[in-house]
Amino acid sequence: MELDLYVRYGPALLSGFGVTILCWIVGSLGGLVLGFAIACLYQWSGTWLRGALQAYIEVVRGTPFMIQLFILYYGGPYFGLVLDPVPAGILGFMVYGSPYFAEIFRSGFQSFPKGQLEAARCVGIDEWTAVRRIMLPQMLVSITAPLTNFFIILTKETAILSVVTVPELLAETQTMAAETFTYVEPFLVLSLFYWFMVEFTSWLGKRVEARVTRHLQRA
Amino acid sequence: MKKRTLLGLVAACGLSFGLVGTAYADQLADIKSRGKIVAATEMHFAPFDILIDGQYQGICRDLFDEVAKELGVEVEYLDLPWSSVLPGLEAGKFDIVNAPVTITAERSARYRFTLPMGNATVALLKKAGDGTINAPADIAGKAAGSQKGSAQLEQLKVYAAGLPQPVDVREYVNIDEAMADLAAGRIQAVANSMPLMGYAAVQRPEVFELVMPPFGAPKFFAWVARPGEETASLVAAINAALLKMHEDGRLDAINEKWLGAAPDLPTTMPAVN
Amino acid sequence: MDFSFQVIIRNLPYLLSAAKWTIALSLVGMAIGLVLGVLICAARVSGNSWLRRAAGIYISFFRGVPLLVQLLMFFYMLPYVGLNLPATVAAVASIGMCSAAYIAEIVRGSLQAIPRGQAEAAEALGIAPLALWRRILIPQALRIGLPSLMNELILLVKVSSLASVVGIGELTRIAQNITGQTYRPLEIYLTAAVIYLVINAVLATAGRAGERRLSIWVGR
Repeated sequence: MELDLYVRYGPALLSGFGVTILCWIVGSLGGLVLGFAIACLYQWSGTWLRGALQAYIEVVRGTPFMIQLFILYYGGPYFGLVLDPVPAGILGFMVYGSPYFAEIFRSGFQSFPKGQLEAARCVGIDEWTAVRRIMLPQMLVSITAPLTNFFIILTKETAILSVVTVPELLAETQTMAAETFTYVEPFLVLSLFYWFMVEFTSWLGKRVEARVTRHLQRA
Repeated sequence: MKKRTLLGLVAACGLSFGLVGTAYADQLADIKSRGKIVAATEMHFAPFDILIDGQYQGICRDLFDEVAKELGVEVEYLDLPWSSVLPGLEAGKFDIVNAPVTITAERSARYRFTLPMGNATVALLKKAGDGTINAPADIAGKAAGSQKGSAQLEQLKVYAAGLPQPVDVREYVNIDEAMADLAAGRIQAVANSMPLMGYAAVQRPEVFELVMPPFGAPKFFAWVARPGEETASLVAAINAALLKMHEDGRLDAINEKWLGAAPDLPTTMPAVN
Repeated sequence: MDFSFQVIIRNLPYLLSAAKWTIALSLVGMAIGLVLGVLICAARVSGNSWLRRAAGIYISFFRGVPLLVQLLMFFYMLPYVGLNLPATVAAVASIGMCSAAYIAEIVRGSLQAIPRGQAEAAEALGIAPLALWRRILIPQALRIGLPSLMNELILLVKVSSLASVVGIGELTRIAQNITGQTYRPLEIYLTAAVIYLVINAVLATAGRAGERRLSIWVGR
């Protein structure tokens, strides 16, 4: 294993890693917000809007991420959307992640005991405050696990951004492999790196879950 | 479409029956006894390699068909992404790369090149009507793209490093996508070999324009075989066929058909630095 | 913006023909994943701690590395270890190995839903462990896990698009080819998206129908 190869490409690989993390965090958070908005809209709206939202969820969940990126990036200019690779990547992430986040929030809403909200109304608490101070904090407990799980899935999806020239980690590794004619080793190292990243994020996720559900563990 | 997939499948089955991974005593003898040579390229490199309605066409196809006729064998063509082509050759997945590969010193050390069959000197393509780029140096401070893993990309990077303002160099999986981005205005120039850029400007003059002159050292395209003794006779035979085509004018005729004017190609291996 | 339906109609036959490869890749990948996944699950729940750990590492690796990276690594690495497989076989094997990790977990979860009493009764009756697995546990686990398994299949259909990166002529790659020729990315990729949607919708409906039929058996 030639270490000086990695030293030479160190800056490029590091920059790729930075782009990966940037797209992951900003894209996932954007998707989370969008998904939450969709779930809320779904909860408190009529059949027409619900149908449209359901269609959106089904369409985005039923098509490959790669095709969505191609439509956004290469098809975009044909309907007035010309984005640079990184913003396109982040937008793609937001769109791709939103239905999954929406479903997580939706099941969180549905599994919440309605009795609490009714009780709140009885004692005079208005609906919005009830949602904000009673429903959401408790929902957090049940949705933390699927949320962290999906965040972790999204770290792996960042690799697909390489197909629309986003200079993230896989793209930089491919450049290194092509320029130095070493085709196997860099990918091996890359896999180990992703593996470590995912395991570390899982571990972090478990710590977050433990913290959030701490109040449930007291005897 | 179906025929190509079928051909690919047949080629794959043929390959999978233990034809590769072992060193041939003589690859040419083996190919002749099989009656078939398997060539791989990326069919997204107009006018050298093009897919028209699912059929493989282009300068490389015409030239290689003629060479195969001289060798007395049939050809099986594979369409692979560019990033798999050279690794695939090394791994023995096919006999030869009939893509136009730029002859560079690093590649010469790893592979065996045939005689040149195309001009690979780098030129720029710009969006038609773009008055801000009139010479290669005008890309300073702008965005330019090329294909990942290509010698032209490396030459672009080297050239850009010498300019007063930094150039945002973008790397694309295939050159079609780079040109799509140029048309969309995401980048202001695409760098690739002059024949390619010239062809695009001729095919779509309302979208693209060629920027003259080409820059960097003169380079050539050639086909690539594995290194080592076993490919010596194969490459010698291909070179002999190419030389014959030089003499009887077939080489010029094919190039003129696609490019309008035949490039000046050396009949001996050019020096590389 | 001029949207051309003509381009779509002219190229639809090529896209549909490529969709066959997408379906083939997904089904064969799923088949490999099922067989391998059940084996790995067996290792994961076995009494032997080495087997358990090995299975655990397998599952952790194949779920922790992006499938695209696995595909590329598998594709480039194979010839160097002496295995020269055609591209399609390599792609399917890689997809199958990755899917096996997820299926192993699905089956493990389903196994936990089967009442322990069955295994104990089988032991009391002298039924060999292999027969217990093959004829009692696995069939039930597959039925219980059917929704998740159908989900996995739908995922595989979407994931097959990654095979385009190693040159397999499935729907995404053919769409890319056609786009390169026609310069109409929006029309072509949208059509490809619709084809994927149709395939997944059919699978989802079949899955739900299958669930309903099988749940007649499960409920008591």
